[in-house]
Amino acid sequence: MHFPLWLLFALITLIFWGTTGVTQKLSTNAISTESSFLWFVVAFLPIALVIVLVVPLDWHIKTRVYCLAIVGGALNGLGALTSFKALESGGKASIVIPLCYLYPLVTIFLALILLHERVTRTEIAGIVLALVAAILLSREALPEASN
Amino acid sequence: MVAPWLVYSLLTILFWGVWGATSKAVANDIDTYMNQVLFTIGLVPVLILVIRSPRLAGGKNRKRGIFYAFITGILGGVGNITFFKSLTMGGRAAVVVPMTSLAPLVTVVLAFLVLRERMSTSQLIGLAVAGVAIYLLSL
Repeated sequence: MHFPLWLLFALITLIFWGTTGVTQKLSTNAISTESSFLWFVVAFLPIALVIVLVVPLDWHIKTRVYCLAIVGGALNGLGALTSFKALESGGKASIVIPLCYLYPLVTIFLALILLHERVTRTEIAGIVLALVAAILLSREALPEASN
Repeated sequence: MVAPWLVYSLLTILFWGVWGATSKAVANDIDTYMNQVLFTIGLVPVLILVIRSPRLAGGKNRKRGIFYAFITGILGGVGNITFFKSLTMGGRAAVVVPMTSLAPLVTVVLAFLVLRERMSTSQLIGLAVAGVAIYLLSL
Protein backbone atom coordinates (compact mmCIF):
# COMPACT_ATOMS: atom_id res chain seq x y z
CA MET A 1 0.00 0.00 0.00
CA HIS A 2 1.19 3.48 -0.83
CA PHE A 3 1.69 5.60 2.26
CA PRO A 4 1.09 9.23 1.26
CA LEU A 5 3.75 11.76 2.21
CA TRP A 6 1.25 14.29 3.53
CA LEU A 7 0.07 11.71 6.07
CA LEU A 8 3.66 11.07 7.14
CA PHE A 9 4.19 14.81 7.70
CA ALA A 10 0.88 15.11 9.57
CA LEU A 11 1.92 12.21 11.85
CA ILE A 12 5.35 13.78 12.46
CA THR A 13 3.58 17.05 13.41
CA LEU A 14 1.23 15.22 15.77
CA ILE A 15 4.11 13.42 17.49
CA PHE A 16 6.41 16.47 17.63
CA TRP A 17 3.74 18.78 19.07
CA GLY A 18 2.54 16.07 21.45
CA THR A 19 6.05 15.41 22.71
CA THR A 20 6.65 19.09 23.56
CA GLY A 21 4.23 18.79 26.50
CA VAL A 22 6.45 16.16 28.09
CA THR A 23 9.79 17.84 27.27
CA GLN A 24 8.39 21.06 28.78
CA LYS A 25 7.63 19.22 32.02
CA LEU A 26 11.04 17.49 32.01
CA SER A 27 12.62 20.90 31.57
CA THR A 28 10.74 22.63 34.40
CA ASN A 29 11.50 19.63 36.65
CA ALA A 30 15.18 20.57 36.27
CA ILE A 31 15.32 24.36 35.79
CA SER A 32 13.11 27.44 36.28
CA THR A 33 10.36 28.60 33.91
CA GLU A 34 12.54 31.56 32.94
CA SER A 35 15.52 29.38 31.97
CA SER A 36 13.25 26.93 30.17
CA PHE A 37 11.69 29.72 28.15
CA LEU A 38 15.09 31.21 27.29
CA TRP A 39 16.37 27.94 25.80
CA PHE A 40 13.04 27.25 24.16
CA VAL A 41 13.38 30.57 22.30
CA VAL A 42 17.06 29.89 21.50
CA ALA A 43 15.91 26.77 19.61
CA PHE A 44 13.72 28.89 17.34
CA LEU A 45 16.69 30.97 16.15
CA PRO A 46 18.46 28.27 14.05
CA ILE A 47 15.09 27.30 12.51
CA ALA A 48 14.40 30.92 11.49
CA LEU A 49 17.99 31.28 10.26
CA VAL A 50 17.73 28.17 8.05
CA ILE A 51 14.46 29.49 6.61
CA VAL A 52 15.98 32.91 5.85
CA LEU A 53 19.01 31.28 4.18
CA VAL A 54 17.25 28.50 2.27
CA VAL A 55 13.70 29.61 1.45
CA PRO A 56 13.03 32.50 -0.95
CA LEU A 57 10.90 34.77 1.23
CA ASP A 58 8.34 37.28 0.06
CA TRP A 59 9.09 40.40 2.10
CA HIS A 60 6.51 42.47 0.21
CA ILE A 61 3.66 42.08 2.62
CA LYS A 62 1.44 44.70 4.19
CA THR A 63 2.62 46.48 7.34
CA ARG A 64 -0.53 45.31 9.09
CA VAL A 65 0.36 41.68 8.33
CA TYR A 66 3.96 42.18 9.56
CA CYS A 67 2.67 43.65 12.81
CA LEU A 68 0.02 40.99 13.42
CA ALA A 69 2.46 38.14 12.68
CA ILE A 70 5.03 39.57 15.12
CA VAL A 71 2.38 40.27 17.78
CA GLY A 72 1.19 36.69 17.19
CA GLY A 73 4.68 35.41 17.96
CA ALA A 74 4.77 37.48 21.15
CA LEU A 75 1.35 36.21 22.26
CA ASN A 76 2.31 32.63 21.52
CA GLY A 77 5.54 33.22 23.45
CA LEU A 78 3.63 34.59 26.45
CA GLY A 79 1.43 31.49 26.33
CA ALA A 80 4.49 29.25 26.18
CA LEU A 81 5.88 31.12 29.20
CA THR A 82 2.70 30.68 31.26
CA SER A 83 2.42 27.02 30.21
CA PHE A 84 5.99 26.42 31.45
CA LYS A 85 4.97 28.20 34.68
CA ALA A 86 1.84 26.03 35.03
CA LEU A 87 4.03 22.93 34.79
CA GLU A 88 6.66 24.33 37.15
CA SER A 89 3.90 25.19 39.66
CA GLY A 90 3.08 21.50 39.98
CA GLY A 91 0.57 20.99 37.17
CA LYS A 92 0.72 17.60 35.50
CA ALA A 93 1.58 17.60 31.80
CA SER A 94 -1.35 15.27 31.15
CA ILE A 95 -3.75 17.84 32.65
CA VAL A 96 -2.14 21.20 31.81
CA ILE A 97 -1.49 20.51 28.12
CA PRO A 98 -5.01 19.26 27.16
CA LEU A 99 -6.44 22.18 29.18
CA CYS A 100 -4.26 24.73 27.35
CA TYR A 101 -5.23 23.24 23.99
CA LEU A 102 -8.81 24.36 24.65
CA TYR A 103 -7.63 27.84 23.57
CA PRO A 104 -9.78 27.84 20.35
CA LEU A 105 -12.60 28.64 22.77
CA VAL A 106 -11.16 32.14 23.13
CA THR A 107 -10.26 32.35 19.43
CA ILE A 108 -13.82 31.60 18.33
CA PHE A 109 -15.17 34.15 20.80
CA LEU A 110 -12.79 36.81 19.45
CA ALA A 111 -13.45 35.87 15.82
CA LEU A 112 -17.12 36.35 16.57
CA ILE A 113 -16.61 39.84 18.01
CA LEU A 114 -13.65 41.21 16.04
CA LEU A 115 -13.73 39.40 12.71
CA HIS A 116 -17.54 39.14 12.68
CA GLU A 117 -17.41 35.44 11.90
CA ARG A 118 -20.45 33.29 12.49
CA VAL A 119 -20.34 30.40 14.92
CA THR A 120 -21.28 27.04 13.43
CA ARG A 121 -23.27 24.33 15.22
CA THR A 122 -20.16 22.17 15.39
CA GLU A 123 -18.31 25.02 17.10
CA ILE A 124 -21.13 25.52 19.60
CA ALA A 125 -20.96 21.79 20.46
CA GLY A 126 -17.16 22.11 20.71
CA ILE A 127 -17.45 25.14 23.01
CA VAL A 128 -19.89 23.42 25.38
CA LEU A 129 -17.74 20.27 25.55
CA ALA A 130 -14.57 22.37 26.02
CA LEU A 131 -16.12 24.10 29.03
CA VAL A 132 -17.18 20.76 30.53
CA ALA A 133 -13.70 19.34 29.86
CA ALA A 134 -12.02 22.36 31.45
CA ILE A 135 -14.08 21.96 34.64
CA LEU A 136 -13.43 18.20 34.84
CA LEU A 137 -9.69 18.53 34.09
CA SER A 138 -9.20 21.26 36.66
CA ARG A 139 -10.85 19.30 39.47
CA GLU A 140 -8.57 18.13 42.24
CA ALA A 141 -6.68 21.35 41.67
CA LEU A 142 -6.53 21.84 45.42
CA PRO A 143 -5.51 18.56 47.09
CA GLU A 144 -3.01 17.29 44.59
CA ALA A 145 -0.28 19.35 42.98
CA SER A 146 2.53 16.92 42.35
CA ASN A 147 5.13 16.34 39.72
CA MET B 1 -8.00 29.44 46.54
CA VAL B 2 -7.28 28.40 43.01
CA ALA B 3 -4.12 26.36 42.41
CA PRO B 4 -1.36 28.41 40.71
CA TRP B 5 -0.94 25.84 37.91
CA LEU B 6 -4.62 26.30 37.03
CA VAL B 7 -4.29 30.09 36.92
CA TYR B 8 -1.26 29.82 34.60
CA SER B 9 -3.08 27.28 32.41
CA LEU B 10 -6.03 29.65 32.05
CA LEU B 11 -3.64 32.50 31.18
CA THR B 12 -2.17 30.23 28.49
CA ILE B 13 -5.63 29.63 27.05
CA LEU B 14 -6.12 33.40 26.93
CA PHE B 15 -2.75 34.18 25.26
CA TRP B 16 -3.00 31.33 22.75
CA GLY B 17 -6.65 32.19 22.10
CA VAL B 18 -5.75 35.76 21.10
CA TRP B 19 -2.79 34.42 19.10
CA GLY B 20 -5.28 32.15 17.27
CA ALA B 21 -7.29 35.24 16.32
CA THR B 22 -4.21 37.11 15.03
CA SER B 23 -3.24 34.00 13.02
CA LYS B 24 -6.71 33.82 11.52
CA ALA B 25 -6.54 37.50 10.58
CA VAL B 26 -3.32 37.09 8.55
CA ALA B 27 -3.74 33.48 7.36
CA ASN B 28 -4.41 34.43 3.74
CA ASP B 29 -1.75 37.15 3.48
CA ILE B 30 1.38 35.31 4.59
CA ASP B 31 3.06 31.95 3.98
CA THR B 32 4.25 29.67 6.76
CA TYR B 33 7.97 30.33 6.32
CA MET B 34 7.59 34.09 6.54
CA ASN B 35 5.20 33.60 9.43
CA GLN B 36 7.74 31.43 11.26
CA VAL B 37 10.43 34.12 10.84
CA LEU B 38 8.16 36.95 12.07
CA PHE B 39 6.88 34.68 14.87
CA THR B 40 10.48 34.24 16.05
CA ILE B 41 11.02 38.02 15.97
CA GLY B 42 7.89 38.35 18.13
CA LEU B 43 9.39 36.01 20.75
CA VAL B 44 12.25 38.46 21.39
CA PRO B 45 10.30 41.06 23.43
CA VAL B 46 8.93 38.26 25.64
CA LEU B 47 12.49 37.04 26.10
CA ILE B 48 13.47 40.54 27.27
CA LEU B 49 10.79 40.23 29.96
CA VAL B 50 12.46 37.16 31.48
CA ILE B 51 16.12 37.84 30.70
CA ARG B 52 16.69 39.89 33.89
CA SER B 53 15.09 37.34 36.17
CA PRO B 54 17.34 36.12 39.00
CA ARG B 55 15.77 32.70 38.41
CA LEU B 56 17.77 32.29 35.19
CA ALA B 57 20.66 30.93 37.23
CA GLY B 58 20.58 27.67 39.09
CA GLY B 59 18.16 24.78 38.90
CA LYS B 60 18.37 21.17 40.01
CA ASN B 61 20.03 19.93 36.84
CA ARG B 62 20.92 22.69 34.38
CA LYS B 63 22.23 20.55 31.52
CA ARG B 64 19.19 18.32 31.57
CA GLY B 65 16.77 21.24 31.85
CA ILE B 66 18.40 23.21 29.02
CA PHE B 67 18.45 20.10 26.81
CA TYR B 68 14.72 19.48 27.21
CA ALA B 69 13.82 23.19 26.82
CA PHE B 70 15.85 23.36 23.61
CA ILE B 71 14.25 20.15 22.31
CA THR B 72 10.81 21.65 23.08
CA GLY B 73 11.64 24.60 20.82
CA ILE B 74 13.01 22.40 18.02
CA LEU B 75 10.02 20.02 18.09
CA GLY B 76 7.57 22.93 18.22
CA GLY B 77 9.26 24.90 15.43
CA VAL B 78 9.90 21.94 13.13
CA GLY B 79 6.35 20.75 13.84
CA ASN B 80 5.05 24.07 12.45
CA ILE B 81 6.92 23.37 9.21
CA THR B 82 5.95 19.69 8.85
CA PHE B 83 2.34 20.79 9.46
CA PHE B 84 2.63 23.22 6.56
CA LYS B 85 4.41 20.60 4.42
CA SER B 86 1.58 18.15 4.99
CA LEU B 87 -0.93 20.71 3.70
CA THR B 88 1.16 21.54 0.62
CA MET B 89 1.76 17.86 -0.23
CA GLY B 90 -1.90 17.06 -0.77
CA GLY B 91 -3.16 16.74 2.78
CA ARG B 92 -6.59 18.33 3.08
CA ALA B 93 -6.91 20.91 5.86
CA ALA B 94 -10.16 19.23 6.93
CA VAL B 95 -8.11 16.11 7.78
CA VAL B 96 -4.70 17.48 8.79
CA VAL B 97 -5.93 20.22 11.16
CA PRO B 98 -8.19 18.03 13.36
CA MET B 99 -5.61 15.24 13.33
CA THR B 100 -2.70 17.39 14.51
CA SER B 101 -4.90 19.25 17.02
CA LEU B 102 -5.08 16.00 18.96
CA ALA B 103 -1.41 16.37 19.95
CA PRO B 104 -2.36 16.65 23.68
CA LEU B 105 -3.45 13.01 23.55
CA VAL B 106 0.11 12.09 22.56
CA THR B 107 1.28 14.18 25.53
CA VAL B 108 -1.05 12.26 27.85
CA VAL B 109 0.21 8.85 26.65
CA LEU B 110 3.85 9.96 26.94
CA ALA B 111 3.23 11.56 30.34
CA PHE B 112 1.80 8.23 31.51
CA LEU B 113 4.80 6.27 30.17
CA VAL B 114 7.68 8.68 30.78
CA LEU B 115 6.58 10.85 33.72
CA ARG B 116 4.45 8.14 35.38
CA GLU B 117 1.59 10.61 35.77
CA ARG B 118 -1.71 9.20 36.96
CA MET B 119 -5.17 10.75 36.74
CA SER B 120 -8.37 10.67 38.74
CA THR B 121 -11.55 9.29 37.21
CA SER B 122 -13.07 12.75 36.71
CA GLN B 123 -9.88 13.92 35.01
CA LEU B 124 -9.94 10.88 32.71
CA ILE B 125 -13.51 11.71 31.72
CA GLY B 126 -12.46 15.34 31.30
CA LEU B 127 -9.65 14.21 29.03
CA ALA B 128 -12.01 12.23 26.81
CA VAL B 129 -14.39 15.20 26.60
CA ALA B 130 -11.43 17.52 25.86
CA GLY B 131 -10.36 15.23 23.00
CA VAL B 132 -13.81 15.51 21.41
CA ALA B 133 -13.97 19.26 22.09
CA ILE B 134 -10.53 19.97 20.60
CA TYR B 135 -11.46 17.90 17.57
CA LEU B 136 -14.78 19.70 17.05
CA LEU B 137 -13.21 23.14 17.53
CA SER B 138 -10.60 22.39 14.88
CA LEU B 139 -13.16 21.50 12.18
